[in-house]
Amino acid sequence: MAESLQPVEDPNRAYVGAGTPPVIAPGHTFGTVTDKISAIVLTRRTPLGWYAGFLLAGSFAFLLLVSLTYLVTKGIGIWGNNIPVGWAFDITNFVWWIGIGHAGTLISAILLLLKQTWRTSINRFAEAMTLFAVACAGIFPLFHTGRPWLAYWLFPYPNSMSLWPQFRSPLIWDVFAVSTYATVSALFWYVGLIPDLATLRDRSQSRAGRVIYGMLAMGWRGSARHWHRYDTAYLLLAGLATPLVVSVHTVVSFDFAIGIVPGWHTTIFPPYFVAGAIYSGFAMVLTLAIPIRAVYNLEDFITMRHLQNMAKVMLVTGLIVAYGYGTEAFISWYSGDKYEGFVPMNRIFGPYAFYYWLLITCNVIIPQALWFKRVRTSVPVLFVISLIVNVGMWLERFVIIVLSLSRDFLTSSWGRFAPTFWDWSTLFGTVGLFVSLLFLFLRFLPMISIFEIRTLLPEAKVSDE
Amino acid sequence: MTPLTQTADVAIPELKPMQQRLLVAGAAGGVLSLVGALLDTTQFLQSYLMAYMFWLGVTLGCLALGMIHQLSGGAWGVLIRRPIGAASRALPLLTLLFLPIALGLSRIYPWMNADLVAHDEVLQHKHVYLNAPFFLARAAIYFIVWNVISFFLNAWSLEQDRTGDFRFARRMQLLSGGGLVAYGVTITFASFDWMMSLEPHWFSTIYGVIIMGGQGLSALAFLTIALVWLSRRAPLDRIVVPAHFHDLGNLMLAFVMLWAYFSFSQYLIIWSGNLPAEIAWYLHRMETGWRPVAVALMLFHFAAPFVVLLSRTVKRQPELLVKVAAAVLVVRIVDLWWLIGPEFHTGGIAISWMDVVLPLTIGALWLVVFVSQLRGRAILPIHDPEFDEALGRIIERGAPPRTAH
Repeated sequence: MAESLQPVEDPNRAYVGAGTPPVIAPGHTFGTVTDKISAIVLTRRTPLGWYAGFLLAGSFAFLLLVSLTYLVTKGIGIWGNNIPVGWAFDITNFVWWIGIGHAGTLISAILLLLKQTWRTSINRFAEAMTLFAVACAGIFPLFHTGRPWLAYWLFPYPNSMSLWPQFRSPLIWDVFAVSTYATVSALFWYVGLIPDLATLRDRSQSRAGRVIYGMLAMGWRGSARHWHRYDTAYLLLAGLATPLVVSVHTVVSFDFAIGIVPGWHTTIFPPYFVAGAIYSGFAMVLTLAIPIRAVYNLEDFITMRHLQNMAKVMLVTGLIVAYGYGTEAFISWYSGDKYEGFVPMNRIFGPYAFYYWLLITCNVIIPQALWFKRVRTSVPVLFVISLIVNVGMWLERFVIIVLSLSRDFLTSSWGRFAPTFWDWSTLFGTVGLFVSLLFLFLRFLPMISIFEIRTLLPEAKVSDE
Repeated sequence: MTPLTQTADVAIPELKPMQQRLLVAGAAGGVLSLVGALLDTTQFLQSYLMAYMFWLGVTLGCLALGMIHQLSGGAWGVLIRRPIGAASRALPLLTLLFLPIALGLSRIYPWMNADLVAHDEVLQHKHVYLNAPFFLARAAIYFIVWNVISFFLNAWSLEQDRTGDFRFARRMQLLSGGGLVAYGVTITFASFDWMMSLEPHWFSTIYGVIIMGGQGLSALAFLTIALVWLSRRAPLDRIVVPAHFHDLGNLMLAFVMLWAYFSFSQYLIIWSGNLPAEIAWYLHRMETGWRPVAVALMLFHFAAPFVVLLSRTVKRQPELLVKVAAAVLVVRIVDLWWLIGPEFHTGGIAISWMDVVLPLTIGALWLVVFVSQLRGRAILPIHDPEFDEALGRIIERGAPPRTAH
C-alpha cells in the first residue's frame, strides 16, 4: 500500500513557475478514486443542501412549465416581441444556451484529440452541461414558432402539402445543426458513461440500482476486446464532435449575418460567435465546477490546475471576442455606409447604451484581470468573474439582436422593446430546468469519469520499453 | 548534459555554401527586378506587393507560432524553435524591403488619386484614414511592434541558451501573451491598409483573420520544409522522428481548414447579402477571367491538401510531407496573387514574368538572412525548459536509424 501512495507525476506539468498544481492530487490509487466518486452516487447520504437546491431549481422549472403552458394557450403575444423587434429574449436565450454548450464539446472532443489530460476530471459534467444547455436552447425556437406541435414541418420530408423548407434560409440550417449537435453530444456523453455505469452496477447495494445501472451499462464486462472497441468508438465520436464545436455556432451566426440588417451582416461573425460560445461555455463550467468541488470535496480531482487552465481559455476567447467588437466598430465607420456607421453610434449613445456599456464592462474590461496569476489562482474571484462573463455574454446577444432590430433603415419604423413578466419567467425557468437536471445528474451518475481518472494514476503507467 | 550540448553545437557544413549561392541568386534576381521596375513600374509594384506579403506572411507566421508555443508548450515547437527564431530575425530585412511600396503608393493605391477622391463621397469619408502620411505612420508603428517583439524574444532565447536561467522562459511567456495581442491588432490593420485598401470601397471584417490564417499556413509549410531538410543532416538526423512530422502535418491540416473556413464564411455572407458595395470585390475575382484562379484555390488551397493531409502515412513520411508543404507554399502565392492581381488587371487574368521573379528574388534574399541566422546559433534550444521532456529521451536512446535517401 505504501508504495502506491507516491506523488503522482503529472505528464503535462508546465515548467514555468515551478509548483504548477497537478491534474490530480497525490496519494490516490485505483481504489480510492473509484470509492470517492462512486460513493457520491451510491453510499453517501444525499446532503440536505441537495434537496434544498433541487427544490429551489425545481420550482423555477415549474415556472417554466407554467410560462410555456400559458404561451401555448395565449400565443407568443404574451412576450414583449413586436414589430420592429420580432426577435428578442427568445433568440437571445437560444443563442446564449447554445453557446454555453460549446465548452462541453470542446473539452470532451478537441482536448481529447489534443491529448490534454487535464480535461479528464471535468469532461463528464461539462458534457452533461452541454446536453442540458442544448435542451434549454431548443425550447426557445420551438415555442417561438407558436405552434410547436407542427415543428416537424421544419424537416424536409415528402408530404401531401408539397411543402419544402427553404434550404437557403439559415434557420433551416439551424434545425440540422442543432439537432445533429444534440444527437452527437448525447451519444458521446452516453458512450463515455458506459464503463462507469458498469462500475456502479457492480458496486450498487440495492437491487434497483443493480438492475437499472445494469441495463444502462449494456452488458459491459471490461474485457480487453470491449476496451479495444470502446477506445476506437470513443475516438471516432470525438472526431465527429470536433467539427460541431465550430459548425453549430457558425450556423447560429449565419442566422444574423446572412441577412442585411446593419449590425448583423458582417463577415467576422462566424469565428467571433464561435469564440464567444467557448467563452461563455467555459464561464459556465467554472460557475458550476467551483461550487461542486467545494460541496463534494472534489479538490483532489478538480485541482487549481483545471481552474487556471479554464481561466486562460476564457482570457483567450474573451480577447477574440473583444477583437470582434473592435473590427466590427472600425469597419462600420470605414465602410462609409451611413446605416452601418449608425450601428456603433446607436450602441454607444442610443437608448440601450447602458446595456452596451455593461456588456463591454462584463466581457472586455473585467476579464482582463485574468492576465494576473493571482486572479487565476483565487477561487472566489474566478467564480465572480465567471458569473460576470455569463451575464456579459447574454447581454452581447441582447445588444446584437434587439438594438439592430429596434432601429434599422427607416426612422419611421423605429421602435423599442420591453420584456414582459413572461419573458423573464421563461428565461429564469430555463435556468431552473438546467440546474434541476444538473442536480439529478449529480445525484444519480458519476460526475467525474472514474475510469479516465484512473488512467492518470502512476499505477496505470505501463513502461513503453 | 554534455552529449546534448555537443549534439546541438554541431555545425551544418552545407549551410555556408547555400548562403553564398542564395546571395548570388538574390543579386541576379535583384538586377532582373530592377529591369522590370524600369520597364513597367506598376506591374513591378503589383508583383512586388504580392511577393512581399508572402514573405512577410512566412516571417510573421513564424513569429506568431513561436509566441503561441511559448504559451501553449508542446513537443512540436521545441524542434522548430531555432528555425522560427531565424525566420523572425528576417524582420529588419522586411522593414527595409517595405521601401518600394512606401515610395510607390500612388501607383498602387487608388485612394492616392486626388481626382478620384474628389468625386467620390465614400472615399472622402475614408480620407481621414486612407492618406499617405497616416498610412506611413501606421506602417512605422507595425514595423516597430514586430521588430521589438522579435528582438526581445530572440535576445532572451539566446540568453537562456547561454545561462540556462529559467527566468527567461517566464519573460518570454509574458512578452508572448502581450505580443500575440499586438500581432493580432497590427496585422489586421496592416492587411486592411496594404491589401484591402487596394479596392478602397470594399470592406470585410474577417479580412484580417483570413490573412492571419494564411500566414500561419505559410509559416508551417516553410517550417516543415526546413525541418525535413535539417533532419537529413547531422545532428538532427538522430533526433527527428516521424511523430514530429506528424505534429506539423496535423497543424498544417488545421490551418488549411481554418483558411477555408474563414474564406468560405466571408464568401457566403457577402453572396447572400448581395449588396453592391460588398459584392464588387468578388465580381472582380469570380465573374472575370480570374474565375479559374478562384476555382483552383478551392481545389488546391483546400480540397487537395485537406484530403492528402488526412493520411497518416503522408504526415509521417518526410519525403511526402515536404512535397505537400512545397505545394502549399505555391498555392499561398497564388492566393495572394488572386487577392491583389484583379485590382490591377480588372479585365481578366494576367500574369507577368515578374510574378515569378519577384517572389524568388525576395525569397532568396530572405533565405540568406534565414540561413545566416540559423548558422549563428545552436540548432537546438538545449536550455529550453521543455527540452528534456520533448527530446531528452530520444537523444539518450538515439532515434531509430533512418533509411538513406
